[in-house]
Amino acid sequence: MTKRTVRNLLLTLGVLALSEASGLLLMNVFDIPALITTVFVFAVFVISLLTDGYTYGIAAAFISIFTINYTFTNPYYGFDFTVPANILSAVIMLVISLSTSTLTTKLKQWQSLRAESEKERMRANLLRAVSHDLRTPLTTIYGASSAILDNYETLRDEQKIKLITGIKEDAQWLTRMVENLLSVTRIDSGMVKIRKTPTVLDELIDAVIVKFRKRYPDAPLEICIPDSLVVIPMDAMLMEQVLINMLENAVQHAEGFTKLSLQVKIAGDFAIFTIADNGCGIPKERLANIFTEYYDRQTHTDNTHGFSGIGLSVCATIVKAHGGAITAENALGGGAVFRFTLKTEDASDE
Amino acid sequence: MNNKYKILLVEDEAHISTFITALLEANGYRVICAESCAEASAMYTSHVPDLVILDLGLPDADGTVFLRSIRQQDLTPVIVLSARSDEREKVAALDLGANDYVTKPFGSDELLARIRSALRGYRHSAPEGHLPGGKFTVGEMTIDYDARRLHIGGSEIKLTQTEYNILALLSEHCGKVMTYAAIIKEIWHETPDDGSIKKLQVNMANIRKKLGERPGDNRYIVNELGVGYRMKSEE
Repeated sequence: MTKRTVRNLLLTLGVLALSEASGLLLMNVFDIPALITTVFVFAVFVISLLTDGYTYGIAAAFISIFTINYTFTNPYYGFDFTVPANILSAVIMLVISLSTSTLTTKLKQWQSLRAESEKERMRANLLRAVSHDLRTPLTTIYGASSAILDNYETLRDEQKIKLITGIKEDAQWLTRMVENLLSVTRIDSGMVKIRKTPTVLDELIDAVIVKFRKRYPDAPLEICIPDSLVVIPMDAMLMEQVLINMLENAVQHAEGFTKLSLQVKIAGDFAIFTIADNGCGIPKERLANIFTEYYDRQTHTDNTHGFSGIGLSVCATIVKAHGGAITAENALGGGAVFRFTLKTEDASDE
Repeated sequence: MNNKYKILLVEDEAHISTFITALLEANGYRVICAESCAEASAMYTSHVPDLVILDLGLPDADGTVFLRSIRQQDLTPVIVLSARSDEREKVAALDLGANDYVTKPFGSDELLARIRSALRGYRHSAPEGHLPGGKFTVGEMTIDYDARRLHIGGSEIKLTQTEYNILALLSEHCGKVMTYAAIIKEIWHETPDDGSIKKLQVNMANIRKKLGERPGDNRYIVNELGVGYRMKSEE
């Protein structure tokens, strides 16, 4: 039996028992049988409203009919279905149960439909934003390579090198974009659950630094992690991407930064990751929805590789899928601070 | 020149095959191309390459079929080209005997480094993976297999038995990625589970500390996140 079924059963029985008890009480005080029926009609209504599907409501209606007939109508403690009033109240109760159940079921369907369409909207927005962002690097790659092919003899060597470097850089940008997309769709589709494996923090950070250094050999980077062996359950590939995206975001958007730090602290059952720079900080108007703006932006500007957008929203998706929390703020002394938490123990083995 | 290394490239995408061939030839290797498992097997037998670069998604059969058939005969280094999406695919290929993997898309320097490393490591390793004795040297590190001792820059580093065994195992397969499962099987003769992985992680953390390795600056042991470890074959 699932948790849900148990809940439904308990709710039904509980409400019915309560009605029976209050019915007996009312009988003793007022002695108006009509009041009893009202109490049970209300009970059937509540049960139909709070349980799933039709079954419990209808069952409650039948039980109520029999209970009223048995306990509260003449002959007391015996059945008599010949009285028209009894049959009528039975029919009314059934109708109430059916219509309430239909209404609540419809409401639930509508709610899930709305959540689904919200998801669909996010997906469509993502697709639109990505397609738009893909055009810039593709223009470079297509244009530069055909320029070289068509003008091979006339282009000077350094011009060719410049063009080819552009192709390489934009192809690398595309690669990162695709990696990010793969991660988001992997999580969003719900097809693949996050597979958490115990990962040594040192090894994670090591992999991140090696990759980061390869891309930005000259960027300053300070690392501060605990000396002791820290093991955190996570999908290491995805978490590596979170950290790289965040560091990369700083390099590309923290104008004028001279310091960039990655710090991990352990507090109780949580590991707190902090990525801080001393650059220009995050504009106030973007701070609130910096992790979702990529999905929501309506206007797409052509001027940049809007990498920060998808990078940070991917971070948020991955961290949330791990059951962690992520925040962005501006430091008092200037610069941006990104912080996220992960549980160091995997208590729930979902 | 006849002493050029011969590389068998198994890849069905024409454009990828073209650029890898150009890259390898420009760097002094001889390249033989195959586009399917069947063709690869025929080429392998007739040309006896020094190294194989193998794409896993081939038209006639999974690349692992060919990998398996190579490993039944000999230890020719195999570098697998894999798609990023799944590290399980990498682990599976490594456990089947692949020496290394390169994730698509990759840059030329990355591929060349892996090839050099695999070719060099191949010369180190003996058929059973156990050197009869002697010494192993990378950079400032020397492992004396007879005395079971480790020196870095002339001074001895004290290791526990298990730590030494892990280090020796990695060095015997230097240049090759050893998966967590492969190391656990060799060292503890256990099938990997959470407990044995934890043991390995603790031991590796200690080894790294004793070797003076720091995150982002590994001189001897490269950590392949989620896959395993590799001893460098050159500094």
